[in-house]
Amino acid sequence: MSGIRVRRFLAAVRAALVVIAIFVMLIPIIWIFLAAFKNHVDVYQLKLFFTPTLDNFATVFEPPYLLGPKLLNSTLVALATVAVAIPVATMAAYGFSRFRLIGETAMLVVILATQFVPAVVIILPFFVMFRDIGLLDTRIGLILVNLAIVMPFAIWMIKGFIDGIPLDTEEAAMVDGSSRLGVIRDIVLPMAAPGLLTAGIFCFIIAWNEFLFALILTNKHSVTLPIGLALFKGEEGDLWNLLSAAGIIIMAPMFVLALIIREYFVRGMTMGAVR
Amino acid sequence: MRDDTLKYLLVLPAVLVVSATAVWPLAESLRLSFTVGRLNRPGSLDQYLGFENFSWAFMEDPAFWNSVWVTAVYTVATVGLTTVLALGLALLLAPEGRLRSTARTLLILPFAMSPALIGVSFRFMFNPEFGLFDAFFGLMLPPLAEISWLANPTLAFAVCVMADVWGWIPFLTLVLIGGLAAVPRETIEAARIDGANAWRVFRDVTLPQMGPVLAVVVILKTIFSLKTFDQIFMLTNGGPGTATQTLSHYIYFNGMKYGQIGYAASVAWLMVIPMIILTYFYAKFVFRKE
Repeated sequence: MSGIRVRRFLAAVRAALVVIAIFVMLIPIIWIFLAAFKNHVDVYQLKLFFTPTLDNFATVFEPPYLLGPKLLNSTLVALATVAVAIPVATMAAYGFSRFRLIGETAMLVVILATQFVPAVVIILPFFVMFRDIGLLDTRIGLILVNLAIVMPFAIWMIKGFIDGIPLDTEEAAMVDGSSRLGVIRDIVLPMAAPGLLTAGIFCFIIAWNEFLFALILTNKHSVTLPIGLALFKGEEGDLWNLLSAAGIIIMAPMFVLALIIREYFVRGMTMGAVR
Repeated sequence: MRDDTLKYLLVLPAVLVVSATAVWPLAESLRLSFTVGRLNRPGSLDQYLGFENFSWAFMEDPAFWNSVWVTAVYTVATVGLTTVLALGLALLLAPEGRLRSTARTLLILPFAMSPALIGVSFRFMFNPEFGLFDAFFGLMLPPLAEISWLANPTLAFAVCVMADVWGWIPFLTLVLIGGLAAVPRETIEAARIDGANAWRVFRDVTLPQMGPVLAVVVILKTIFSLKTFDQIFMLTNGGPGTATQTLSHYIYFNGMKYGQIGYAASVAWLMVIPMIILTYFYAKFVFRKE
């Protein structure tokens, strides 16, 4: 074979490998996706070809499963977590980015380190405290502990964005007589807006997918979607078609959000250790 | 307002939130770890017994050592497999082109999936009666079809590792693609001209250049592997027996199911120590360029 042919052949092999690898990576998602549209009988027969049905998506919202309130809880908890985290993190990010503070490195390291504290360590004292003050099984309680996991990401991510905004515009405005708060409001916030949105979406995904806190703190009124998955156990074991439909409801919105911010996913997760 | 005051007011709310939601529970857990700490016994949360919880864990509790062992093997297996597979996938997907760019986009999907849901989907796929894997093995290797994966301690552990690796490959791959892009083209070209084959170029040029990125990825993945809870809980719930009981799961069981919150807190703190060491190394990379 000539050199060109060998190269073409290798390129085709590589392209095939790419397709196979991605297919393998998507199998569990495809599998859930298929099962969500199967009826009860088809799930248990492993069919690849079947008449799709939307019944499962209706059933999960009916008694005894009632996914509706859980969907509401998940949405409210994640939204409120983001609504508190982003403004607080933005202020701090600006402070850390633009000024030298006493103990700055220490504070940043502690904030970084909190991301690595096992969730199970955080939840033990909160469980005791919430039991004593009546915050168990409330959305407020869940929002409070969720802040523990999103704050470090939010601060570090937004700080990265603000670090990238050139100082000149700010300084020019200050020379023209703007106050510091005016500069933050009129220059920094508009320029950092895409970054704030990205950080907000990132934190929303984390709060939405959070499992351990909700498992321990909720049992009836404030149960979130991931915990709701445990409901789909019947007398005869797991109800896979319903589990899959609930799974789609949990993951589909996150897929959309993840695709929107995919450029920043890596930077967000590594907190700037990889640029 | 003067900047000198303002700058501290700006960071104050964040410092308060982080202190209340992360630093306080860490300190309070440490305090609880020295107490009798029974959830159902009022007053026992302030009843101190020194290092007794810790010595109990070390000396008298085989279940603790079991979870340490499970976590250690789990961490080594998941970190190793994820890193190697992600590096392979990164090399495959790094070149530009429409197919690869689509592939990179699709890769974000598994990572947006909640770990609990990953656990559920793997339990589904390894179901002995109608799971996908079972059907696959029934077709390819009929003797394997009769195995009920999650009932066998070793296989259940392997499935947990598989689910974890599957969930983390996308993220590590995307990080490593970024790392590959940063390797200077000229160095690779120069090595090629000097007659190095693809493998030599990879081993002697690409890999050393990737060092820092690989280090970050390995530290980060190690931290997340050590903490693993969600998938395990949904996939095997620590079973069969305690074959897949990680430290996080053991802490959860002691604290929440048996109400031994003092003991759970002491085991939890034993887990925090390696985290602090790993975080120290991780912080070095974060602050390196500043």
